Amino acid sequence: MHRKTKKVGTASPGRRVLLGQQIISGLASGSLYALTAVAVVVVFRNTRTINLAQGDFAMVGAFLAMVLIKDMHLNYYLALAAVVVACILLGILTERIVMRPIADSDWLTLFTATLGVYYILHGVAGWVWGRDTKAFPVTFDPTPINFAGTIVSQGHLINMGWAIAIGLVLYVFFKYTKQGIAMRAVTDDPDTAQLMGIPVRFIVLLTWGMAGFLAAFAGVLLSPIVYVSPEMMDQVLIKGYVAAVFGGLYSIQGAIIGALMIGVAENLAGGYLGAHYKTATAFAMIVLLLTFRPQGLFGIQKRREI
Amino acid sequence: MGRKEIVAALKTKFERQNQVAVVLLFVAAALFPFMPGVEGWMASQASLIVIYIMAAQGVSLLVGYTGLVTVGHGGFLAIGAYTSALLTKYFGIDLSLGLIAGGLMSGLIGYGLGLIFLRLSGAFMAIGTLGFAFFIGAIINNVPLFEGRTGINLPASRIFGVKIGDFGFYLVAVAALALTTLLIYCVVRSGVGRAFMALRDAEKAAESSGVNRVFYRTLAFSISAAITGVAGALNGHVVNYVSSEVYADIWYSVDFLVAGVVGGSALLMGPFIGGAFIVMVPFFLEKLADFAYILKGIVLIAVLLLAPAGVADLLARPFRAMRRRRLAAAGDSLGLVGAAAARAQTAEGR
Repeated sequence: MHRKTKKVGTASPGRRVLLGQQIISGLASGSLYALTAVAVVVVFRNTRTINLAQGDFAMVGAFLAMVLIKDMHLNYYLALAAVVVACILLGILTERIVMRPIADSDWLTLFTATLGVYYILHGVAGWVWGRDTKAFPVTFDPTPINFAGTIVSQGHLINMGWAIAIGLVLYVFFKYTKQGIAMRAVTDDPDTAQLMGIPVRFIVLLTWGMAGFLAAFAGVLLSPIVYVSPEMMDQVLIKGYVAAVFGGLYSIQGAIIGALMIGVAENLAGGYLGAHYKTATAFAMIVLLLTFRPQGLFGIQKRREI
Repeated sequence: MGRKEIVAALKTKFERQNQVAVVLLFVAAALFPFMPGVEGWMASQASLIVIYIMAAQGVSLLVGYTGLVTVGHGGFLAIGAYTSALLTKYFGIDLSLGLIAGGLMSGLIGYGLGLIFLRLSGAFMAIGTLGFAFFIGAIINNVPLFEGRTGINLPASRIFGVKIGDFGFYLVAVAALALTTLLIYCVVRSGVGRAFMALRDAEKAAESSGVNRVFYRTLAFSISAAITGVAGALNGHVVNYVSSEVYADIWYSVDFLVAGVVGGSALLMGPFIGGAFIVMVPFFLEKLADFAYILKGIVLIAVLLLAPAGVADLLARPFRAMRRRRLAAAGDSLGLVGAAAARAQTAEGR
């Protein structure tokens, strides 16, 4: 295994193609982690809540998609649309039932409450769909295609395409729509936003809805890769957290760049050290990051007192 | 006798009552194997409750008294379990030494991690500790020494050279729990404990009054890790088997946090209630494991909504009110009993 590591720098063409492939597939998985990371950041900066249930929103979405496609023979895109609606509802319900009554508590209480949601969703998924790991009915054509000089699988490109499209939707939302701008205002200063007539409660609700929206895509796009089980998102969630810390739990761009970096780093570690070192890579990155730049890699405009 | 003396005497009396209650609880726990109707299979279940209580004590020391959060104590449980298991396997050491070694190793690693994590504010620390638990999982899954999913089989436990059965092991666990409870009681009551709580309630004010934040928080993190490490060592020996199938799981970490929060992390009795709850729910719902998850989640949210200071606080309220009345009758204006009452009041106020 160590011999392989030494060869990374050598210039043999085959090795370089492999490296390019590793990076592309790293970017592909990184762009899916970004969906979780962005959701973590958006919820945290508007509500001070580290949402431990983010992964489980996605897990429920993946199970729903599986049922819709496999048992009800629904078209993939129709199923995706249905899952998006369902996950947004799940996010909104979580906010209304669990989070709103304790919205003024300290952050530890908020965090522990999402832990309760995590337990409940795990239990419900295990009860309804079983604890065993299931294959997702839709898989992408594994035949590799030539892309920019490297050989990549079609699935990776499709995932990246989805992630970029969602990124654009978010960009337009935050930049041009009334709700998006209001959401940023709530992030910067909830009290002033309230005084300016922004319906802060509705914006918080919208924030959780957005978490559900992102979770739906994360769940459906990840399930061909990690398969569908109640535990499917646990590893992804921790990577999403680490990526969110890259942005100081505040910056969406920082979280996206962090997610891509984690995807590439873990894929390189997986390719050259062994597949089991993937999670350890994410942890090594978080330790380095927290030791040297606890405020996040890219600097932040403002950090809340928590 | 003046008013002050009467109040002081009352407070001493209440304190004595608390101590007697805890001692009686432990006497009852020690007599459990000799009670009528107790069968052999109950021994390991009872040991498991003791182990969870101990681990929850470790988490509570951080969450309740120091105001730090941890979602990574499953990692310390694993460190304690593997330290003791490996030493037993390769050197055949005594159970008592195994427990001490597990605690020491966990405490040391906790000290190192503390230096990194304690510079962070709460939310970042939660993420960091969660990452730590996953990291330990990756290590025990992949480093050959730990034998991954195959696991390490251990010989039957011996304490001071005497082979012990299931109930013997349970008694050892209860004795260890008595020691950790005493440790926490003494720490919380000492200047160290007051420093922990001062940092929790008013970090900047405490620091500017000369409380060394990094020192005390690292100390809290180490003690907490060490206690959970001892629980881990016990957890390995209770079934004489450790494997990454069990310890690479994130559930331990979240379960301990839930045990602390549900029971009431700032009260001495909190971990007892929380630990027993976490062990007994899946036990009673053996065939309905998924309902156990749902029930745990619902109870957790209900506790957060209705009794944020935990079930122990809920149970203690009538006693506390009674004592407060008696103190007020004796002329004490505040009528508070102990630091825990102060904490509970803050919780009620928020």
